[in-house]
Amino acid sequence: MTDTSLDPVPGSGPRTPPGTGAGTAHLGDDPAAPWRRSAKPGTRGRKQGALLRLRDEIPFRTRVVLACTGIAGLVVVWLLAAAWSSGAVVVPTPLATWNAFTDYWRSGELSTDLSASAVRVAEGYTISMVVGIVLGVAIGSFRSIEAFWESPIGFLRYIPATALTPLFLLWLGIDESPKIALIIAGTVFYNILMIADVTRAVPRELITASYTLGAGRLRVLCRVILPHSWPGIIDVARINLAAAWLMLVVAELLAAQDGLGYRMIQSQRFLQYGRMFAILLIFAVIGMFSDLALRGLRTLVAPWARP
Amino acid sequence: MTEPAIAATGTKAAPKLVLENIVKDFTGRRHKTVRAIDGIDIEVGDGEIVCLVGASGCGKTTLLNIVAGLEQPTSGGVTIDGEAIVGPGPDRGMVFQSYSLYPWRTVSENVAFGLECIGMSRKDRAERVQELLGIIGLGRFADNHPKELSGGMRQRVAIARALAPEPDILLLDEPFGALDAQTRRAMQEFLLLVWQRTRATILFVTHDIEEAILLATRIYVLSSHPGRVVEEITVPFGTNRGPSVLRDPRFLDLRDEIQELLTTQVER
Repeated sequence: MTDTSLDPVPGSGPRTPPGTGAGTAHLGDDPAAPWRRSAKPGTRGRKQGALLRLRDEIPFRTRVVLACTGIAGLVVVWLLAAAWSSGAVVVPTPLATWNAFTDYWRSGELSTDLSASAVRVAEGYTISMVVGIVLGVAIGSFRSIEAFWESPIGFLRYIPATALTPLFLLWLGIDESPKIALIIAGTVFYNILMIADVTRAVPRELITASYTLGAGRLRVLCRVILPHSWPGIIDVARINLAAAWLMLVVAELLAAQDGLGYRMIQSQRFLQYGRMFAILLIFAVIGMFSDLALRGLRTLVAPWARP
Repeated sequence: MTEPAIAATGTKAAPKLVLENIVKDFTGRRHKTVRAIDGIDIEVGDGEIVCLVGASGCGKTTLLNIVAGLEQPTSGGVTIDGEAIVGPGPDRGMVFQSYSLYPWRTVSENVAFGLECIGMSRKDRAERVQELLGIIGLGRFADNHPKELSGGMRQRVAIARALAPEPDILLLDEPFGALDAQTRRAMQEFLLLVWQRTRATILFVTHDIEEAILLATRIYVLSSHPGRVVEEITVPFGTNRGPSVLRDPRFLDLRDEIQELLTTQVER
């Protein structure tokens, strides 16, 4: 844009005072133009508040206060719900939940259930991650492998894994194998596709640079693509671990002799609201700690990739 | 393969790298064939720094990739010491504009990568890396990660990494394009120093005319769409040149001449 308010001929007359030059006033002429006005007279520009800046940092203290308020809000909602608890909708108080938790713990059932569930998730999810890493890295690295696997995976992943539960129970009986199979079915496709994406994010130039340094394809795969992908792969593991627990609970709700999901159904039968709440909180705490652990692993494996 | 034609250009040294009638077509939109490079002949003598100058779209990077073996020409041949290039190898070290260092490796581990590829023993590797870090002046940063270095330092590491397996020729693809003006000047002097010390043969791509004249013994000016050699210029400065060249009247004349050549290309 050219500045039309500039005089084409030097010294051809004074500038038109604002608002008087009928029809000839231009954007730049009027110091009182609305777009110039600030909220506060005598200032210019839009001032931004400290709290709601787009994608901008807030002071550390404010962050801590806000985080604590969030947790406190959750507790308050719980307390209110417990206060309104009635015969039809029973909500146990935090204290009742705590007592139920200590009972559960002292009875020894918690440790059996917890270890049963954790072992199932660990077994199923490990298999799922191994398959995910092998296939995901292969798909992300080779177009031919991608072309082969993309359509079957793209098709199969739209089958809700939970819908496989009855079939798996028929095929595999009611012991450990259907539960592990369900965990795999519910997570492996996401693992494969997301790890493939992580692998595709390796900069092309890093690969070509390695070729010009004399590296063969196997070396590039093991020494360039894999090390570059580890932090991303751990992130994928973190995100999809929640789906593994989801599948575990579905499996345990339907057919199990132990485990946190099984205990949930038992507690429902005996109307043990406190214990049900305690189990829910246990799930949340497990999730939180495994997330923290995987974050720690990421920093350990790839300190260079710290954000 | 054809015999390298030494007599044709009259370069003093026997040509190390010969590009003969290189043509490169790309399949563009609607399967239309676009000719990016149209019959380019280039020779690089042993120990020369040859610069390819041209506006964007003249296929300079493609040409470099062809020499590196990362791309195949549609027709024409590339030979080094009379041997045809069929793929990438450590005899042609390459440096990219974006550094492309391994972020998980330390400086010395980055430099050592090519040495691992050729199966050098750990002890020899350490010695060679030490020597190279001395040349690039980053001995103190051997155990730092690329993230902790400035742009100029990273590019020096990339150059050391490419030099490590003692390549026959060093290919540089606008290596200083991402650096600020001061760092760029320092890096140009650094490259001259490396060249004087290692006597490496260098093929260099840039769109910075002054950089080309400052560094190169010969310059090929390329046209765009399609890429052709419009002029081959021998730079009259010797091997022991320094930044004083920038004030030489012949430098300014050359700069104007190349500028003129490129401008007519753009207007065409």
